[in-house]
Amino acid sequence: MLTGLAAVLILAGVPARAADPEIHLGTTRASTERLDMLVQPLEVVSGGTEAQEAAWLVESVIRIDLDYSGFFRSLSPEDMSDTTRVQYAVEGLLEGRLPGTGVTAAERAPLMTLRLVAYPGRQLLLSKRYRPTWDRLRATAHHFVNELHMFLTMEPGISLTKVVFARGTGERRDIYCVDYDGENLLRLTANRTLNLFPAWSPDQAEVAFMSYREGQQGIYMLETDTGKVRLVNETVGSNLAPAWHPDGGELLASLSKVGQHEIYRLSLTGQVVRRLTVSPAIEISPSWSPTGRDVVFTSDRTGTPQLYVMDADGSGRRRLTFEGRYNDAADWSPSGEQIIYACRERDITQIVLIEARGENRRLLTDASWRNCEDPCWAPDGRHIVFASDRSGVFKLYVMDVRDGSSRQLTFGEESDKTPDWSH
Amino acid sequence: MYRTLVMVSVMLAALLVFAGCGSKEEPPVVTDPTPVVTEPIADEPVAEEPAEDVPPAPEPINYAAMAPQEYGIEDVFFAFDEYSLSDEAMGTLSAAARIMREHGDLVYVIEGHCDERGTVEYNLALGEKRAVAVRDYLVSLGIPASQLRITSYGEERPFAFGSNESAWALNRRGHFARP
Repeated sequence: MLTGLAAVLILAGVPARAADPEIHLGTTRASTERLDMLVQPLEVVSGGTEAQEAAWLVESVIRIDLDYSGFFRSLSPEDMSDTTRVQYAVEGLLEGRLPGTGVTAAERAPLMTLRLVAYPGRQLLLSKRYRPTWDRLRATAHHFVNELHMFLTMEPGISLTKVVFARGTGERRDIYCVDYDGENLLRLTANRTLNLFPAWSPDQAEVAFMSYREGQQGIYMLETDTGKVRLVNETVGSNLAPAWHPDGGELLASLSKVGQHEIYRLSLTGQVVRRLTVSPAIEISPSWSPTGRDVVFTSDRTGTPQLYVMDADGSGRRRLTFEGRYNDAADWSPSGEQIIYACRERDITQIVLIEARGENRRLLTDASWRNCEDPCWAPDGRHIVFASDRSGVFKLYVMDVRDGSSRQLTFGEESDKTPDWSH
Repeated sequence: MYRTLVMVSVMLAALLVFAGCGSKEEPPVVTDPTPVVTEPIADEPVAEEPAEDVPPAPEPINYAAMAPQEYGIEDVFFAFDEYSLSDEAMGTLSAAARIMREHGDLVYVIEGHCDERGTVEYNLALGEKRAVAVRDYLVSLGIPASQLRITSYGEERPFAFGSNESAWALNRRGHFARP
């Protein structure tokens, strides 16, 4: 009777999740449990070896995206056993064009259908059709998993996101960009100087960053599709660490043009919208809350750097951190409920998670990570990226704050620092 | 001409003597110097020759192209997490100020640096406070502020590598550079 009812609901287009409590995440699901998802090999209808390779690539990216989401566990048919209970599957088909047919890139692009179905009944839950050019196969797989993630969890996933960071040595660091899964490494600047603190605009169209010109620090803006760079602000002294307003129209920055470091709201052309802090202390590292109503920042007015929160107009200042002698580099979670930051204790810097009101402080890293700095939230509110020198040189790592699992994001011998995760 | 020959002979002899020094195996060998030749008294004109025993006038030293350390302006060092100047630092800066006054047209960039401990951002801010402390002290000694620019590289451009106090101490500095 209930099965029949569920069947009717599915046929009527109502998602099955109305009858399935497992889909509601986060609060009801135990944080380390993952939802099993069978990924069937894509059926290649036509197109020969090229199409088959495309199918394998799309399938593997789908599996990686599911596993990296922290929410799903992907299974292939070989992983299935008698006791495996799977409720969902991904399947699809790919119609490649035969070689020699089609003149334009679009005509040669395969037609790909990707579906989310219930398992084992194969009731259709979600279907997407794509016609990706061969260089867009990864992006297509990322797009599908992003849709699947939103459909099943009602929360944004990270499969379409990217991380921007500063790579190099002390003489030169350039801004680089990498997909959240570590692929598609791209260099964005080549200006033969020290570049730091890149920050994505909310629409991913621009990256604000700090650079040096003849020894003078400045805040610059890079357009991601054209590569064009323009100067935003270059006042006397420091021009540090731009941070975007959640709506994208403004930046927060720390400038020392009045003789000491203060926090300012700046327009995208460098006009001061508002000065937020007035104090003889160093005030740096500002970061907006996701509502844009509060700013968390660092001040050493008590002698060593500590975190404070203030309203968007600079009033209502309250101290956030009372433990640890040195706290800096705060980032506010997408939910608004948590803040991560770097804490230096006994000559080692660690990542700390705290609730936005200051409660439930806990370390996310330990001494085995050596020094960890520059933490930044992913838009799913579940993953973070940070830099650690555990391998001997600073590299970027991604961590799931709910279960502590982690993976290395960037590789190679150069030092990678100050990452920022796109929306 | 006679004088030239004597000079050459003396120099040759000196060379031979010094070439012999330090050689443990053979005693120095002094060969006959070039025999002196008496010139007939000149019907021939005595050519004007440049005075060879006077060294050429020195090239003017281009201080503007030199690193300040090359002409005596030394860096100053700081204690951990501090930007105040020690007595030793003030002494170094007093000496630097004397040299700066002699070259009043030269501009300097004072770079603030930190050791690798701590965060990138706070070290950039601390580095600037170190540079400002150096500049303010030099200004108090009478150096015009227009001669002194400041910047900070935080922990980004270390002078010494290694995760130990000897490297860290060398990196906590105010460094003088050319703009």
